[in-house]
Amino acid sequence: MKKIRMESIGVSYPRKKFWGIGSLSHAVHAGLHCLKNSNYHPMDVQVLINCGIYRDGHYAEPAFSTFIQKKLGINTEFQGRRTLSFDLQNGGCGMLSGIHVLINLILSGRIHSGMVISSEANADKKPDPNYQYKNSGAAVMLDLSPNSQIGFGNFVFKSFEKYMNLYSSFVSLTQKYGRLLIKKTKELEDAYLACVQSVIKELLDTENLSADDISFVIPSQISEYFLNKLPENICFSAEKIINLTHKYTDTLTTSVFLSLKHLLDEKVIKPGQKIILLTVGAGITVGASIYYF
Amino acid sequence: MANQKNIKIESLGIYLPETVLTTSELLSQCKHPPSLDFERITGIRERRKAVGEYAVDLAVKSAENALKMSRYSAEDLDMIICTSISKYNRKDEVDFEPSTSMMIRKRIGALRTINFDINNACAGMLNGIYVMESFIKSGAIKCGMVVSGELNMPLVDTSKQEIRHSFDRQLAALTLGDCGAAIILDKSDSDKYGLHQLDLITGAKHNHYCYSKPSKRGPGGVLLTKARGLHRKGAEHFPFYLKKTVEKSGWTMNDIDYGIPHQISVGVIKKNIKVANRFLGEKIPFRLLYNVERVGNTTTTSYFIVLHEFLLNNTIRKDHNLLFVGGGSGMVIAHATYTMDDLPERYISKFGSA
Repeated sequence: MKKIRMESIGVSYPRKKFWGIGSLSHAVHAGLHCLKNSNYHPMDVQVLINCGIYRDGHYAEPAFSTFIQKKLGINTEFQGRRTLSFDLQNGGCGMLSGIHVLINLILSGRIHSGMVISSEANADKKPDPNYQYKNSGAAVMLDLSPNSQIGFGNFVFKSFEKYMNLYSSFVSLTQKYGRLLIKKTKELEDAYLACVQSVIKELLDTENLSADDISFVIPSQISEYFLNKLPENICFSAEKIINLTHKYTDTLTTSVFLSLKHLLDEKVIKPGQKIILLTVGAGITVGASIYYF
Repeated sequence: MANQKNIKIESLGIYLPETVLTTSELLSQCKHPPSLDFERITGIRERRKAVGEYAVDLAVKSAENALKMSRYSAEDLDMIICTSISKYNRKDEVDFEPSTSMMIRKRIGALRTINFDINNACAGMLNGIYVMESFIKSGAIKCGMVVSGELNMPLVDTSKQEIRHSFDRQLAALTLGDCGAAIILDKSDSDKYGLHQLDLITGAKHNHYCYSKPSKRGPGGVLLTKARGLHRKGAEHFPFYLKKTVEKSGWTMNDIDYGIPHQISVGVIKKNIKVANRFLGEKIPFRLLYNVERVGNTTTTSYFIVLHEFLLNNTIRKDHNLLFVGGGSGMVIAHATYTMDDLPERYISKFGSA
């Protein structure tokens, strides 16, 4: 069976600057990094999906992806090669959802290659204290794998609506420029932990694999508490769970891909290994996929 | 490709709020009414206004209407894609998380679905169809719903306060109306029917012509449009892609029975007909359907409110070939060719003829 691979990854790590770096700059930095690592030219990106939630200026339209497309110089005019760009939002699972969408676009024969990109930044001058995500960006280039053993396996997404009220974020328009507000309850992380087990089990069952076959699980870097509790919840040994909270903390949609890039740069992941990408987000939605290296 | 068969609209649901707001009423509420004849220029006489309802309510009601005539129940759906631009799900609040599709999923009881939101301005619902088509064709899902609830009145309310002169960039907000639309998609039994081509293209260089964000003058959100530039740029490029989509479908212009354009205003639709005629070197032989004069610009849902009306009045019938012509800020150009199956008969038998 054909597999879709990550042809290249680019990231924009959280940085400290006096004036801060916005979501567009992070996305563009990650996108350029991804294109630099790729064999593809910007004009080869047939679909660009932006999965970031929080963006400069709190734009509702046009799609924020169009700003990224323009800055990256990806087929910005109507003549010549064509690109479709749009935004996809699915909380912290957004990037994995974007990859899932792009994989199906490639498998259906619509396109040959595309990019999923995401960045997070709070545009407010005085951010809500509940907003604790570090500004960052990540981009992934996908295409059809030349080797049927390498690439993404199945995806499992599950939503648990009974926990819907535990986390919400919205822009309040009661003041000029709007203000991003986040409502988060203490029970959120325990609820995430309660939800992940069935998703991992279903994923392993669909792939006909056991926990022993998996080299690493790269989860959203929610918190130290979440990552310490995760092994017993999904029945994996603690050393297989990647915990980089000391380095990157939670960056929402980009979190898993910052960690993945770090592991690839450190050459921790070897060819032939299988890893699970595990994302959690508001809803509660849990998404997971297996990647064969 | 796992499955080459066309996808089709298995069911359609529209929710149009009952309260009517006429253009003259709306202009009288403006702090500084524009001095130009807005109704004559746009051709929009009235639009619908949701009272006591929010964007997610409009989406849920349209989703429920779609499920009423569908052979699928909510539990059968494999995917929900919400494509609303306006996510005013509470007063003065625009939702980011959880996704609106998650709220819809919960309220209609579609508890098995994969769900996420897609935002691509007015081309959102067509973009949702584009994505869902790939899932159905790759065999990942069997059926799903693309849904949108557009509560545009908060933008209109801000523009009433902030418009200062006849050339104000918020003027286009006065064309907006509220509406909800939902479609259920699945695989067509025959390649004769359903969606033949759906082409979307983004010319990001032109994304500065129209945007919506929080106001910098006061509370509320605004829609700022450079209308002339937007329409000029759209008119420069859309006829080429229209022709290409028709040709890729194996059709000629004579094969098309009706065109359904994005409902911006009567003036823009008529201008675009002239532009297409000039490009093609002949008069387009099919009729363009519109009801923008009565419902205003309902953004993502506009194609489907037209489809709803012209199904009910028996204009669109089985075997009719339709051309969807649209776009949105970004700038997005979208075209789709579609052949109607038995949906018109089923729609009339469920909701009654107009």
